[in-house]
Amino acid sequence: MRLLLVEDDPMIGESIRDGLAQEGFTVDWVRDGAAADAALGTEPYAVVLLDLGLPRKDGLDVLRAARARRNDVPILVITARDAVADRIRGLDAGADDYLVKPFDLDELAARVRALVRRAEGRAEPVVRHGAITLNPATREVHLRGKPVPLSGREFALLHALLARPGVVLSRAQLEERLYGWDEEVGSNAVEVHIHNLRRKLGAGTIRNVRGVGYTIPAE
Amino acid sequence: MSSLRTRLLVALLGAVLAAGVIASAATYYGARAEVGAMLDEELRQVALSLRDHAVLDLGRLAPGGREPAQRVVVQIWDPRGVAVYLSNAATPLPLSRAPGFSDLTHEGRQWRMFTARSGPQTIQVAQATSVRTELAAGAALRLLVPILAVLPLLAVLVWFILDRGLAPLARVARAVGARSPASLDPLPAAGLPGEVRPLVEALNGLLARLGEALTVQRRFAADAAHELRTPLTALALQIQLAERAGTDADRAAALTKLKDGVKRASRLVQQLLALARLEPEASETPFAPVALDALARSVAAELAPIAAARPVTLALGRVEPATTTGNEDALRLLLTNLVDNAIRYAPAGGRVEVRAFAHGADAVLEVADDGPGIPADERVRVFDRFYRVPGTEGPGSGLGLAIARQVADLHHGRIELADGLGGRGLTARVVIPAT
Repeated sequence: MRLLLVEDDPMIGESIRDGLAQEGFTVDWVRDGAAADAALGTEPYAVVLLDLGLPRKDGLDVLRAARARRNDVPILVITARDAVADRIRGLDAGADDYLVKPFDLDELAARVRALVRRAEGRAEPVVRHGAITLNPATREVHLRGKPVPLSGREFALLHALLARPGVVLSRAQLEERLYGWDEEVGSNAVEVHIHNLRRKLGAGTIRNVRGVGYTIPAE
Repeated sequence: MSSLRTRLLVALLGAVLAAGVIASAATYYGARAEVGAMLDEELRQVALSLRDHAVLDLGRLAPGGREPAQRVVVQIWDPRGVAVYLSNAATPLPLSRAPGFSDLTHEGRQWRMFTARSGPQTIQVAQATSVRTELAAGAALRLLVPILAVLPLLAVLVWFILDRGLAPLARVARAVGARSPASLDPLPAAGLPGEVRPLVEALNGLLARLGEALTVQRRFAADAAHELRTPLTALALQIQLAERAGTDADRAAALTKLKDGVKRASRLVQQLLALARLEPEASETPFAPVALDALARSVAAELAPIAAARPVTLALGRVEPATTTGNEDALRLLLTNLVDNAIRYAPAGGRVEVRAFAHGADAVLEVADDGPGIPADERVRVFDRFYRVPGTEGPGSGLGLAIARQVADLHHGRIELADGLGGRGLTARVVIPAT
C-alpha cells in the first residue's frame, strides 16, 4: 500500500515514514507543496498524508488543486492548526480526515486503514473473498480459517488485487502500488511474489491475463 | 481629609467665615471712627448750644430714650470751680480746664468730654466711650450674624455643587473600576470638563500602549505554542518508534534520533527565552562598554570546532578596535546566532568571515559567507519570528535572525543583509552607535 507523505519538518517526516513502513506501508515523502503537486499528478497513491504549513505552496492549495483535477485519492490532513475553523476549512477544501499534531502513530495508521477501507467501498475492516480473509490492521491472511504466513510484499500485492476483484492490474500498476521511489524493483519481482501467493493460497486464486496483467476473479 | 470634597468644603467654608470676620472687623473699626466723629459733633453741638442759648432743657439731651449709661452728662462750673449745674450729681466728672475734646477715665469708665467757655463759666458735655464701642460692635455684628446664619445652608449648597462638579470624576472612576483586565477600549472622553479630560486622555494613551504590548505578547505566545508543537510532535513520534524497536540496533538508532529531537526542542525553548528576555521592557541588565573586536575574536574561537566539523573555514576579517555601550551577553548571542547561521548554511568547504570595526560614529559587526544567500525579496521577511526561507533544509527554528534584530533594536542599532563573499552568499551587518 503506497502512501504519499507531504511534510516539511525532517524529524516528523522521517518518523512518520519509518513508523508507517513498520505497519507495512510504502511511503513516498516530499517536503514542499510543489513537489506534492507533481507527485499527485503522476503516481497512484492509496492515501495522501498532507501537512498544511508547507513551503512553496500551502497544503490547502495542494488539496484544492488535487480536487480540481478530479483526483479523488483519500487525503488525510496532518497539521498543527487545531482551531475548529481550520478543521472545517480543511475538510471543506476536500480533505477526508483531519489529524492534529501531536498525534499517535497507531492512530495515524488506523486512520489510514479506515480511509483505504472507505475508498475500497468496504464497511468491514476485514476483506473477505471466497475462502480468503485479509485483515489490514493485523496484516494477517487466513485461508479457510487457517493463518497463511505472507511476506510484507506478498501481503501488499494480495491486498491490492483483493481491493477490486475482477479488475486486471498490469505488472507496472502493481509495481507502482508496491514500491516507493527509492526502491529498486527487480525485473521479475512481481512474478516471484505472484508465484509465492499461488503456492500458499492455491494456484487458481490469482489469474494471469496474458499480455495484460493479473486479477483475482470476482465471486 | 483625603476626600477632595471634604477638603474643598472645609476650605470654602473657612474662606467664607474668614471673609465675614475680616469684613466685620473692618466694619467695626470703620463704624467706630464714624460714630466717634458723629458723637463728638453731638457733644460739641450740645455744649455750644448751652453756651449760646443757655438751653437747659436737659430732656433734649437724652434723645431717643437712650439708656441711662448712654446719656450725655452736662456740667457747668463757675470760675471758682464750684459746680453750677451737674446733670449727674451723684458722680460728678472732674473739672477740666482745657477747652475742646478730651478723654478721661473716671471711676473705671472711659469718657469723652467737650469743654467750652461761656464767659466766666465752663461748660462740659461728656458721654461714656462705651456708647461708641457698642454702636460699632452692633454694626459689625449685624454684618457677621447673617453670614454665620447662612453658613450651614452654604455648606449644604457647596456639598451639592461639589457633588455635581466632581460627578465626571466619579463617572470615570466607575468606568475604570468596572473594567475587566481584558477590555482595553478607550474610556469615553466626551462631555468631560477640561480638568478631567487630560487624565482620561492620558489613561487612554496608556490603555492603547498596554493593548499593543498585550497583542504582541499574545501573538508571541500563540506563535511559540504553535512552534513548540512541531518538535513535540517529532518527539512523540520518535518515542513511539523507540518503543516499537524490535532489535537493540533499531532501538539505539531510534534513541539517537530521540536525543536529536530533545536537543532541538531545548534549543527552541532557549531561543524563545532569549527572545522574551530581550524584550525592551524586560531587559534589566545595565549597559556597559563592550569591545566588539574582542567579542568577534571570542565568538569565532568558540564556534571554530563547529565550523571545522562542517567543514567550513571560519576566519577573522577586518577586526579593529570598536567599542559600544551595551549588554555584552545579548551582543554575544547576536553574533553567535549570525556566525552559527553562516556556518550552518555554508556549503562544505565554504568560508565564513567575521569582522568588527568602527565606522564614523558607529561600531560595526559583520558576518559574511559564500553560502546560498537569501534572495533580495526575502531579506525583510527573514527577520520575522519563526519565518524560514522556503525550501530551507535542516533544523532551525526561524528565530535566529529575529533574536539578532531584537538585540540590535535594544542597542538602538540596525541589522541589514547584503551580498556575501565574492558576490554570492550573504553578509549580515549590525550597526550600533559607538562610544
